[in-house]
This record gives sequence, C-alpha cells and structure tokens, in this order.
Amino acid sequence: MNDRRQIDNAQRVVVTGTGMVTPLGIGRKEFGRRLFAGETGIAEISSFDTSRLSSHLGAEVTGFHPRDFISVKNIRRMDRISLMAAASARLALDDAGMQITDANRDRVGIVLGTAFGATDITAQFLQTLFKEGPSAVNPILVPNTVMNAAAGHTSIELGFRGVNTTVTHFAVSAENAIAYAAAEIRRGTADFIFAGGADILSEFYYKALTRFRALSPRGGGQESCRPFDKDRNGTVAGEGCGIICLESLQSALARGRQPYCEIRGAGMGSSPARPNVWPREFKGIQLTFHRALKNAEISIHDVQAIFAAANGDRILDNTEAEAYSEIFADKKPFITSIKGALGESFSGGGIRACALALAMEKKSLPPTAGLTSPLKPLAFVTEEKKEIEIRHAALAGVSFGGTYCYLIFGR
Amino acid sequence: MGSKKRIVITGMGTLNALAGNVADFATALQKGQCGIKAIDLFDTTGFRSQTGGQIKNFVAGDYIPSDFSIKRMSRADKLSLAATVQALRDAGLYPLPHKFKEETGIVLGGGAGGLLEAEPFYRDYLNRDGRNAKFSTLSSLFCASSADRIASALGLTGPKSTFMTACSAGATAIGCARDLIVNDDASIMITGGVEPMSRLTYAAFNALKSVDPETCRPFDKERAGLSLGEAAAILILESLGSALQRGAKIYGEILGYGITCDSYHMTAPDEQASGAVRSMQAALQDSGLSSEQIDYINAHGTATPVNDVTETRAIKVVFGKRAYSIPVSSTKSMHAHTLGASGALEAVVSILAIQQGFIPPTINYRQSDPACDLDYVTSGSRRADLRTVLSNSFAFGGNNTTLIFGKYSEKGTAHE
Repeated sequence: MNDRRQIDNAQRVVVTGTGMVTPLGIGRKEFGRRLFAGETGIAEISSFDTSRLSSHLGAEVTGFHPRDFISVKNIRRMDRISLMAAASARLALDDAGMQITDANRDRVGIVLGTAFGATDITAQFLQTLFKEGPSAVNPILVPNTVMNAAAGHTSIELGFRGVNTTVTHFAVSAENAIAYAAAEIRRGTADFIFAGGADILSEFYYKALTRFRALSPRGGGQESCRPFDKDRNGTVAGEGCGIICLESLQSALARGRQPYCEIRGAGMGSSPARPNVWPREFKGIQLTFHRALKNAEISIHDVQAIFAAANGDRILDNTEAEAYSEIFADKKPFITSIKGALGESFSGGGIRACALALAMEKKSLPPTAGLTSPLKPLAFVTEEKKEIEIRHAALAGVSFGGTYCYLIFGR
Repeated sequence: MGSKKRIVITGMGTLNALAGNVADFATALQKGQCGIKAIDLFDTTGFRSQTGGQIKNFVAGDYIPSDFSIKRMSRADKLSLAATVQALRDAGLYPLPHKFKEETGIVLGGGAGGLLEAEPFYRDYLNRDGRNAKFSTLSSLFCASSADRIASALGLTGPKSTFMTACSAGATAIGCARDLIVNDDASIMITGGVEPMSRLTYAAFNALKSVDPETCRPFDKERAGLSLGEAAAILILESLGSALQRGAKIYGEILGYGITCDSYHMTAPDEQASGAVRSMQAALQDSGLSSEQIDYINAHGTATPVNDVTETRAIKVVFGKRAYSIPVSSTKSMHAHTLGASGALEAVVSILAIQQGFIPPTINYRQSDPACDLDYVTSGSRRADLRTVLSNSFAFGGNNTTLIFGKYSEKGTAHE
C-alpha cells in the first residue's frame, strides 16, 4: 500500500512556485494584490509613438529593473524577452523555496512558450541587413533572433541543465509548454521544470497587429479591452512573462513544501480553420475540453472555474462563450478572463497559470476587467473578485489558426 | 525506464538538397552525393559564403494535390505539406481515412517559417516609411503556421504544437510526438521538421562566421564551419498495435528520446561536453539499451571547429573504448545543416540506414584531425545490418536532443 502511494505521488505533478513580470506588477505579491483588486495594466503606450496608428492602448511592463533579479555579467547579452523570462524564473524559483546546486541542476529544466519571440531584435537585425548590408550585421544580435534564446539565457543565468525547450504555437504557446513540461515530469526526465510563456510588445509588432486589424477599436467606438462584453470591439496588445515551478508531489512532500495546486490533466486539439483567424466554431474547444477532463479523470461537474482565453475579440469571445454554454448544461462554472486587465500577450497562458495558482491559494477568483454587459448568461466574474474555494479549475488555451490546449488544475 | 507502449514509424517523406522523395534520398545517401552547391534562391553577394544545400526548382504543384489551396503559403508551408502528403501516402494513409482524423495530430520543429517571403516586405517597410509594405505577406511569417496549414488542409483535430529550438527542434518534435501517443493523447502523429532558406538565417550564420566559405567538411582537420541547407522531413508515428492492426509497413521503432541543456553559452557548446553526454545518456536510459547495443551514430557533426571535437569527446565519454569501433558519420556533408529540420531529416537518414542496411558516409573528408579520431566512415557508404542508430541534435541556446531508432522485431530490440 505504501509503495503504491509512492508511485502515485511520483506521477502527480504539482505547482510549487509562481514568478511573473507583468503589466500589473512584478512578483506574486504585487501582481496578486493588483489583479484581485480589479486594477488594470492597460494604458496609453509609452515606449513608442502611436500617434499615426489606429490603436494607442497597450498593457506594457513598467518599472522592471533586471538588475534586481539577474547577474550583471549576463544582463548585457540578454534582450527584453530573455530578461523577463529569466526574472520570472528567478521569482518562481525563490517562491518554490528552491536552491540550484551541482547536485540537482541536471534534473532542473525550463519549457518556455513564446508566440512571436524577440520581435524587437529581429526587426533591428533586418533593418541593418537591408539598409547597410551583410557586413554591418552585429553578430551579438544573432543568438537573440532565435525563439529559444530566452530559455537558453535563463538556463545559463540560473544553472538549469535538464530538459530545455521552447514551444511556439501562437496563442497556445504557454499552455502547450506547460502540458509538455508536466508530461516530462511524469516521464521522470526531470525533477523540476519551470514552465510558462513570454512575449513582448515592440513597435514593429504593434504596428503589424494594427495593420492586421487585430486590435481595438475595430469598427469604431472607444478603444478598450472588454472580454465577453456585448460592446467589445477588439483586444489590446499586452506583454509579459509568467512561469510556474512544476515538480512531482513526491518531491514537494519530501521538501516539505505545500503546493499551490496540482496539474490534474491536459488536453490538446485542433480544428480546421483559416490561418490567423480566431475559430468561429466551438467544436475544437469542446473536443479539447473533454480530452482534458478525461485525462484528469474528472467530470465536467467538477469544474468550478475557468480562466478563459477571451480577449475582447468579437469572434474569439463569442466562440468561447458558445462552447461553455454548450458544454455546461445547467451547473455553470465561474468564468473569468484576466486579459481584461493584462491585454493579449498570446503566451499569456503562463501569467494566467500563475493567477490560477494564486486563486487557489487566496480562495478567490480575479475579476474580468472591462466586463459590464455579458454577451451570454454565463457565470462570469465581472468587475468584482469572487470568493470561492476552488477544487478544480480549467485554464483555456485557444488560438487563431484553430489550435487548443486545456489544462485542468486541482487543489 | 522505457516506454510501455511501443511506437513505430510507418511512413516518411522528405524534400531536401539531395532529393525530392525518400527513395531518391536513400540512393543519394548510399552513393555519397553532395547537395551543397551555389545558391540561387537569393543574392549572396557580400556574404562569406555563396553555397548551401538548397532545394532547386521546387514547384509546389508537383507535390501537393490540386485540391489543397496553397495561396499565401510560405516556402516552409509548401515544403512541409508536400513532405506530409508523401509520408501519408507511404504509410497507406492518404487520403487520411475519416475515422483517423480525430485521433491524428501534428507536432513540428520549425525554423525560419515565412521569412523568405517577408524579406521584400521588410525592405519596403524600411525604405519607404512603410507605406508600400504589404502586411499580408507576413501571414505565414511564423513557423507555427506550417502545422496550422497542414492540419487544416487534412482536417485533423488531434494535438498540434510547434517547437522552435534552432537546430534541435525537429528531433524534439519527434520525441514529443512519440510521447503524445504513449500517453494516449493521439493515435497517429505527423511529426518532423521544416526549415526554408532565408536571407536572415544566411546573414546570421555568416555574421557569426560559422559557415564554411566552400563546402562543409565534418570532422576534417581543416573544417571551417557549416553549410546551410533547407529541408522538410516528415515521419508518421503510431503505436505498434495500430500499425499491426492496419497491416502497415513498419520502417522501425523509436526506442529512446533524451533532452538536456548545456547551460553554458548561447552559441558555443560546453567544451566539457556535459550537455551532449547527458543527452545521449538520457536517450539510452529511456530506450533501456546499453551503450554496447548502439550500432551506428548519426552525428550532429556540423563541421564547425568546436562542435565536431566536442561531440567526439562526448561520444568517448558515453561509449568508452567502444567509441572507436562504432561508425559515426555526419550526413550534413551531403544534405547540409538544415537547422530546424535537421533532427527530423537525420531521423529519416537513420531509419533508412536501418531499413536498407547501410551506413551513410561523411563526404568531403580529406585530412584527419588528432582531436577527432573516431571511425567517421569517410570512404563511401558501407553495407551493415544495423539494429540501432543513435542520432544527435545540438542547438544554439544549449539545447541537446538525442533520438535512438531501432530495427523492428517482434520481441523488441532491447531484448535481443
């Protein structure tokens, strides 16, 4: 009997640390306080000029001082996304009460999701290449043009030598990364994996989003981010990084750590869709949600809360709301989208996973900023947080192009 | 450790500098042909090198059935869809039967994505204050779009993901796809990698001076860097049970998958080779094989001065004295370094070697290096009955992935 439990605990993956650099603050205390108080991280963009663009709002990370978290010798080689990732991983490491030593570093890894990587560095690199020619290209920039740079820099800074990879699949990058990391812990290839997502706002990237008509205000009205609201008119671009520390329950118990929550299961899926367009049909969500529930060995009635993917987009929010109306017949779970406060950073699943872990701890669900008139009669957490002891919650990953990943967390 | 469920390869497809299909690719590997030639995809004036492993005269319509719309697809999207159609046909799964669509997923290793197509955009954007820049040319810019396009074209609803870890992405994708089947998340996985040539990539490696101005010479004393290439390489994976039930042809089995990090330097491997050593050890442990049971090593072998000596050192640490009697070759000497696709392309090489009973050579080799003193198979391919092949992929950022493939036998390679 004792042996059997040992095996089970080795297969159970728990969250024991959270670390984040976000528009709502850096580190769990500030982030948690402001998120649950219903503050917003959205404001006029300050890092570049938007006067000639059709959108002006963004959720930017401000007051971030990399030196508070990262060694000076490594900082000079790192770009903005790598700095955010390394700082978030450092915060998660500290929050998990971990020390990296020669004895454990080979079994500590990082799996990072990023939708677009270092869009600032890539634009800079191409500008030099096309304006000044191949010989003017600065080799120092090269490593940072590749999407795996942030995880590479982070592993160098923190000394992680185990599993290391980077997932990039648009708006499910972080969810897919967390699902893969949990599978690696279960496979026994690492004792600790830091998993999450990071993306940044850069001028070129913001311009591209406005030209693709991805941002509010689409079709007029006031520019704002209003997930699930009847009057929503597009999302607002955001940035940031959120990373959770995963380990087996056996490992957490042996260290005497009380986990935030457990990753009970994951489901991944896809549905035929037009490229770069949010899915209009909810079949993909439905299929993937059920896969995740089956994997977690729980029923839909056990899900009390959903951390939604909705970002204020006309199509996405409607599809997601229709899916939940269909999946949950009578007993509806509470639904919240923190993108109302954080905007859409595409790999924001990392920050949402942190928020979910904090919600379990605080016995409270964060509000959906900007939501006043819900588009459907679902149990939305609107502008006030909701006190509730959560046993099971789902994290929704939905991407344009028809890709899905649902993660089920348990207390 | 080992996986409970056995995962086999039942179909393969590839387009690369040597060949436009698997059969011709096998012939070229056996003959030791070189696909590294002058590049005509873009202007190479001003770069350190002018050569590479380019896929010449690629016409998407020759490979992709006309019922698929290839509008606005990038070169990467078209190459990977073409290789996917080949692989599914090879597996007897084309057109994909309806009953399989729900349980079929796709995991790819990506690279430059639609950068080639985005280059004129960037030029317009920078030169004329952006007014003439057509943002629609960016619609396939990011490498995740290839999996999106393929999944949508085939009507898949299984798991979908993309890895981007430079030169190890293709191998990691295969490892992840295997585990999705092992964990019952999918029944059939389309997996592999794609890397298109682009000026950005070419400029990046030239700026780092890591390219050989002529043709790469893995393990040679005078090696001066890698040759860049492009490829799509796709494998169809399924459980042994599913393959047997379908009566599918079985190419071989995935026996081991290891993944580690150097945590040392962004572009240089750890000279102690710790990351590479642990990657091979992790794959061996996962496979349940002992180091005695590896018959051939398909090396990462980029031909950069530091990679080849570090990899040689790592092989010696893992295999001890036996390192000197295991054939090791770098097929990058023939098909060039295809970055995000390389782990997948070399998986195809490894499986062909097992299936057709040969060890592909390291070509362009002239002079031995005292620091690289293993059997690099430098005088043409050899006939050999291979039971297992270990394939390494090491990347910038310190990402290491090792895969081990085995000949299919009823009992399982580890138990023979």
